[in-house]
Amino acid sequence: MKEQFQARMLRIHFTEADKWQGEALYKAIVAKCMELGLGGATVFRGVEGFGASARIYHARSLSISKNAPVMVTVIDREEQIQKLLPHLDQMIQGGLVASSKVEAIRYSRSDQPSSKA
Amino acid sequence: MLSPGKALKVSIYLSEGSTHHGVSTSSSILDFLYFRGCSGATVLKGVAGFGADHHIHSANFVEISDNLPLKIEFIETRKKVDELLGKLEEMVGSGLIEVQETTIAKPAQISKPKKAPAPEHVKIEGKAQLMRIYIGETDRWRDQPLHEALLRAMRANDLAGATVYRGILGYGAHRRVHKERALNLSHDCSIMISVIDTQEKLQEFLPLVDAMVQEGLVVLSDVDIIKYSHRPAAAAE
Repeated sequence: MKEQFQARMLRIHFTEADKWQGEALYKAIVAKCMELGLGGATVFRGVEGFGASARIYHARSLSISKNAPVMVTVIDREEQIQKLLPHLDQMIQGGLVASSKVEAIRYSRSDQPSSKA
Repeated sequence: MLSPGKALKVSIYLSEGSTHHGVSTSSSILDFLYFRGCSGATVLKGVAGFGADHHIHSANFVEISDNLPLKIEFIETRKKVDELLGKLEEMVGSGLIEVQETTIAKPAQISKPKKAPAPEHVKIEGKAQLMRIYIGETDRWRDQPLHEALLRAMRANDLAGATVYRGILGYGAHRRVHKERALNLSHDCSIMISVIDTQEKLQEFLPLVDAMVQEGLVVLSDVDIIKYSHRPAAAAE
């Protein structure tokens, strides 16, 4: 099944070391998205980067560093994304949220229930 | 460069274990043909055979047989063959050389000049579109991973470039959490492919995405291309 719609995409940038209530922030954000019934969320780990704190991280160092840059992408309809934003305000201490309007096409197998979004 | 018409096909039969000045005869013959400007040659490996000594050499035995038959073939003009034959006879040792008349219907073309016309997508600037495709790592298309198939399809369709990203955590329409696990090779992460090209190119490609992606999300957004350049073909080689 194919479904085409206008959507909004959030890209949330922070680091792997960031925490929310004792848990990794990226896990907390994904859990929150699920809880709110958003269509999906994906976390990517960067290889190298720097951010507001201007500290360069890269994966080359042998130490098992937990401070890699992380990006969470969330795509859903505008109203769904609006539900998430207040939570992000609370959860993100240092980081960046970029938002853009996108055109989305969702493919789903018709024999399985698709998300309610 | 060969032209259509009469030519000679030379077949050289030898054993894999034979050597010429310390290196394997087949590779020294191939080198000889290569540096003498022969227009092409192929070394074929036999799976079993016997020769003048009437020993059967076969790959069936468990021991590593290094005496399997080899055949080297090349096609050249009569003049060139006459020129090469003397040296070949010396190199081949106990092997056999056969020359037969043949007709070239279509000579092989040197593929390099074909590459010369630069791909069409070289100059894209300004307004373009960014397409992101979200799928699972385990998704397959026919007999291969879907992300690899998509990438190959994009390449085959001359899209300007694509990158596959693996997510470390995520969920999609089925609420199943895809997670990277330390120390085991998890093959069920989320995958994102991002492609940037002109709107027309991406619209042309969408039907392929339609056909290949059973389940997933495709997102299109407008972007400005600031710079897209590549090394000139000559420098790249």
